Amino acid sequence: MAAITLAIPSKGRLKDNCNAWFASAGVTMEQTVGARGYRASFSGFPDVEVMLLSASEIASSLLAGDIHLGITGEDLLREEAPELTGRMHLIKPLGFGFADVVVAVSGYWIDVATMADLDDVCAAYGQTHRRRLRVATKYAQLTRSFFAQARISDYRIVPSAGATEGAPAAGTAEVIVDITTTGATLKDNGLKILDDGVILKSQAQLAASLTADWSAGARKACETLLSRLDPSSPLYAALAPQLR
Amino acid sequence: MAALPYYDTPAIDALNSQAVALLKLFGERGYTREEPAVLQPAEIFLDRSGEEIRRRTFTLMDPSGRELCLRPDLTIPICRQAVQDKRKFPARIAYNGLVFRHQPGEPQRPTQFFQAGVELLGLDDCAAGETEILALSIEALRVAGLSDFSLRIGDLALFGALVDALALPAQWRARLKRHFWRAGYVETLLYWLGHGDGKPRLPGNRAEIEALLDARADAPMAGRSREDIVARAMDRAAEAAALHLDPAVADAIAKLLDISGPAEESLARIRALLKTAGINLDPQLAAMDARLATLKTLGVDPARVQFTAHFGRNMEYYTGFVFEMWARDKEGPVQIAGGGRYDSMMELLGAKQRVSAIGCAIRTERVLAAKIFAGGA
Repeated sequence: MAAITLAIPSKGRLKDNCNAWFASAGVTMEQTVGARGYRASFSGFPDVEVMLLSASEIASSLLAGDIHLGITGEDLLREEAPELTGRMHLIKPLGFGFADVVVAVSGYWIDVATMADLDDVCAAYGQTHRRRLRVATKYAQLTRSFFAQARISDYRIVPSAGATEGAPAAGTAEVIVDITTTGATLKDNGLKILDDGVILKSQAQLAASLTADWSAGARKACETLLSRLDPSSPLYAALAPQLR
Repeated sequence: MAALPYYDTPAIDALNSQAVALLKLFGERGYTREEPAVLQPAEIFLDRSGEEIRRRTFTLMDPSGRELCLRPDLTIPICRQAVQDKRKFPARIAYNGLVFRHQPGEPQRPTQFFQAGVELLGLDDCAAGETEILALSIEALRVAGLSDFSLRIGDLALFGALVDALALPAQWRARLKRHFWRAGYVETLLYWLGHGDGKPRLPGNRAEIEALLDARADAPMAGRSREDIVARAMDRAAEAAALHLDPAVADAIAKLLDISGPAEESLARIRALLKTAGINLDPQLAAMDARLATLKTLGVDPARVQFTAHFGRNMEYYTGFVFEMWARDKEGPVQIAGGGRYDSMMELLGAKQRVSAIGCAIRTERVLAAKIFAGGA
């Protein structure tokens, strides 16, 4: 049995970027035959098992300690574990999968450009409608802490599973918090990002679970893999003291 | 105290007999006991209380998808019931029960604890209501066996009146009041008002604003009317010009908010600062004098009453007089009781008109711990 498990996204551009990054370090991945393509290994690294999971599953598996290492978006990691300390360690930002988590409002709201404006509108909305203004998002944790920092409390989060950018037009929420790369989707839906509404500048991260089972063999395998993936920086040295 | 407390026999017996004594006192003073459900519809807390309570509320989904929560306090469910039952006022209600609070980042704090308390709803004579609740809270602590405690008092109405006395646009006065309970932020706003620039970002006349809106006719209205947006946009343009506070006044207020100390001395300092700023708050200050006099007749040593100007309690539903009682346990100073006036709550919960409300909650487990510490020391 392999000593550690590394999870990478099972499809899409993130997966391709991961493979390219491995290849640039001279590490080649071999899909395991017969496992329906969801397991793989690195040639020359028998102690590392590679799993292909969905990006959000990788974040929750890291938090649960079911896998040792994972590559996924920082947005998903921070949403899953608002307090990373003792739970996860971000080993290395990988320079791909760039996207911003932002607060966006209707472009029709010409009087709203900042979070302070939004605060006024939230308070006024509460008074006229007798209910709180709704914010649609799949990032409930990130939204909550960002709005708290901006001193906004008169709002309510509406969980959104997909197509969040359509919520203001559909009337299911007044404001959204969503991820965007170019802003084009937001613009197409008549939305604008608030001047000070960037919650997180996210990119793909190689992360370690601090709650996984870090046996001596697992540590050794991790050290070997990290020194191969990035020989120039002491990635394992920064991680090791946090492993219990 | 563990995050998930286990009460052994002596602990639960001590809590029970203390609760019996407290409820007996409340009953003798005309407060009848009520007990809301432990599970509550989540929205009454999510919609009505501040972020501080919300982020500490345990929410859950029942199998049909309805969002519920474990009650994070008893005041809101009790008030809600009083509104639904169209209760006759004044109403005097007592309670003793568990409340549940998530303690993010503080794993050593208990996620459930007992609160014993009273709510006085719909008594129009505010001063009488405050005297009654203060007296009852102090008597309750003494009945629970604790006489060595100090008080911290404040008044959100004082700050509201202060802001109303400033030559600022209405929107900004509302904003300052709304944020009073957030330590630090109001000072930042005040500094900005006194020393910042106020550059307008929007055109000042209606035609130009309407033209901007017409150009964005494809974007969703998102719950706001065109008139609402035009009105606010015009306000914003107008206020950019008006948005300036005499730096001397802004600094005087910042200093005032910083005042914290023995109550009588603090009030004297407030009077001096208000004089400098040319602001008259005599009625509010007189009300505070009266409360101090009440505390004296209740046998509370004035040296143990602290007035903190910037004291809004971390729950934004308070609207006026607020107080906390503090004692010591083996860990150090600990808040054992707290309460205050929350005159807008009943209306927020659906009452047809404003209903005055004031109450107090006692952290009974902390009172026991403080008593043990005082006895053992």
